[in-house]
Amino acid sequence: MKHSRWRALLRKPETSSFLILCLAVVFFTVANDRFLSPLNVSNLLAFLPELGIIALGMTLLLTAGEFDLSVGAVFAFCPVISMLLVQHAGIDLGTALIVGFALTATIGAANGLFVTKAGISSFLVTLSMLLLVRGCTLFATQGFPLASWSGESILQILLAGSFYVGEVRLHASIIWFAALAALMFYVLNYSKVGNWISAIGSNRSAAVARGVPADAVKIGLFIVTSLLAGLAGIISSLRISSASPVAGDQYELEVIAMVVVGGTALTGGRGTIIGTIIGVFLLRIIRNGIVLVGVPGLAFNIFVGGIILIMLMVHSIVHKRSIRS
Amino acid sequence: MVRQTTQEVLRLENVTKSFGNVQALNGVSLAVGDGEVVALLGDNGAGKSTLIKAISGLHGVDSGDIYIGGKKAEIRSARDAMNLGIETIHQDSSLAVDLSIARNLFLGREPVRASFLGPLAPLDLAQLKRQASELLKRVGIKKNLDADAPIRALSGGERQSIAISRAMHFFAKIIILDEPTNNLGVEETHGVLNFIREVRDAGHTVIYITHNIHHVFQVADRIVIMRQGTIVADIDAADTDILEVEAIITGADRRELAAEVRRK
Ligand SMILES: Nc1ncnc2c1ncn2[C@@H]1O[C@H](COP(=O)(O)OP(=O)(O)OP(=O)(O)O)[C@@H](O)[C@H]1O
Ligand SMILES: [Mg+2]
Repeated sequence: MKHSRWRALLRKPETSSFLILCLAVVFFTVANDRFLSPLNVSNLLAFLPELGIIALGMTLLLTAGEFDLSVGAVFAFCPVISMLLVQHAGIDLGTALIVGFALTATIGAANGLFVTKAGISSFLVTLSMLLLVRGCTLFATQGFPLASWSGESILQILLAGSFYVGEVRLHASIIWFAALAALMFYVLNYSKVGNWISAIGSNRSAAVARGVPADAVKIGLFIVTSLLAGLAGIISSLRISSASPVAGDQYELEVIAMVVVGGTALTGGRGTIIGTIIGVFLLRIIRNGIVLVGVPGLAFNIFVGGIILIMLMVHSIVHKRSIRS
Repeated sequence: MVRQTTQEVLRLENVTKSFGNVQALNGVSLAVGDGEVVALLGDNGAGKSTLIKAISGLHGVDSGDIYIGGKKAEIRSARDAMNLGIETIHQDSSLAVDLSIARNLFLGREPVRASFLGPLAPLDLAQLKRQASELLKRVGIKKNLDADAPIRALSGGERQSIAISRAMHFFAKIIILDEPTNNLGVEETHGVLNFIREVRDAGHTVIYITHNIHHVFQVADRIVIMRQGTIVADIDAADTDILEVEAIITGADRRELAAEVRRK
């Protein structure tokens, strides 16, 4: 009994990701004692939740069998539009953010409508949306970064305030990430719509034949993913006091890599929030650690790419095993 | 056409449906009585799946009417059909293979707590598991299946049994099976045929689509044959034989003309 429970645990995709995460931490700690220093941990945890928040939305979307390449562009678009409104239209921060999020939700809805109603693949739809949104953002700012909100505001503290735990400096984003992760974990594993999401990604026509509103669920997930990317962008711009039109470049690939490294299937049907959290940490830690151990900057994508490939092979082997037994 | 002794549960009147310039259904009229097992036969592309997809709400019809239990029905979605007591096991797999048996059984009709939360309501996992285990026991799947096992781990026959037991569980009045024995082994096929008999004995009406005429004579009360979107024969199984049915399906036979004449 106990034995079989262990075997079941070993067969979960999260387990192998977690073991590799532990290995990475041990390796980098041994290789360079600065790895666990408060300064390095603070740096690591400042940026990690921002990608993590996007990855949560992407996990649900991937589980439903779609993905979104426009998240990096939205990450820049949402804060840039909000700050433009604050600086040029004299609107207060709260209202500007509401407008920014409303436009961001519209982008998600457009993605969802094109994918479900026009039947165009999410690769093509969201690739076009990436160019469109990035182009709008660049044009609106003429390519220059905007100074972000610098005044005192309760919103600023809620979204990007910082505090110390021991010597480690943390930002509000880590709390947002934790809370949203808990919510998404519940939604995917324990709610009715979570059951629908997995079913749609696993076999859409079977889900539709059972009366599951597949298109509505997908459109909703595209909107959620856009909103989370927008939120991450706002948090980031408030943290660094700058809204750049080129922020978030290539985040879409980084985030998709985090999600699949965590064990979510790119083909849909199987998604794991725990795995995504592990994937987010794993990729950030590897990027951070590789620099610390002195791999030259230009060579470092070689390692990242290689490690992603290895992880995917491990998942594929574990998955095949678990079907057979 | 319906036997006088039984109550009519489903009637189609002059149903048509085209996909672009393919006329998939060309004026189909059919009545099915309570507790009947009707076999729906026809060559590839005859329109069988299109017909049952119209009945189960997967796509609308261009014209014509559907009556359920004598009342005119508006079937616009799969959910409408399910609410009218129609459960369908489709040709192209009715199960999501990544989900557990229990989650598949209740897909689209999940038991929840705090239902005011709508789609975000928490699944009642204890109830889900308990009902699924009971159901698995009741449908007499011999192997000890775990309700938490993913469908992926099951054989084709076991999968069909799960799909059929789901239809039974929700007390569907009408159970439609679109080629349920495709890709199944001998024993598994017998399992499905036994299921059909059990389902009928339990008072359900069955519409059974297949290409295997031998199976038809083992379970069907009535045989309906389609060709090019129309029904070309509607006969009592007791009044015919394999040769005649085969001839009608493939067409080009005098007996088919005879059947046509008999119909008019
Ligand atoms: N979604 C669709 N779009 C276009 N044409 C379709 C569609 N579905 C069915 N058809 C066409 O309608 C006709 C009837 O198809 P249908 O699937 O009902 O046949 P069938 O009798 O079930 O055949 P089989 O025994 O091969 O399953 C075929 O000519 C088919 O090509
Ligand atoms: Mg068919």
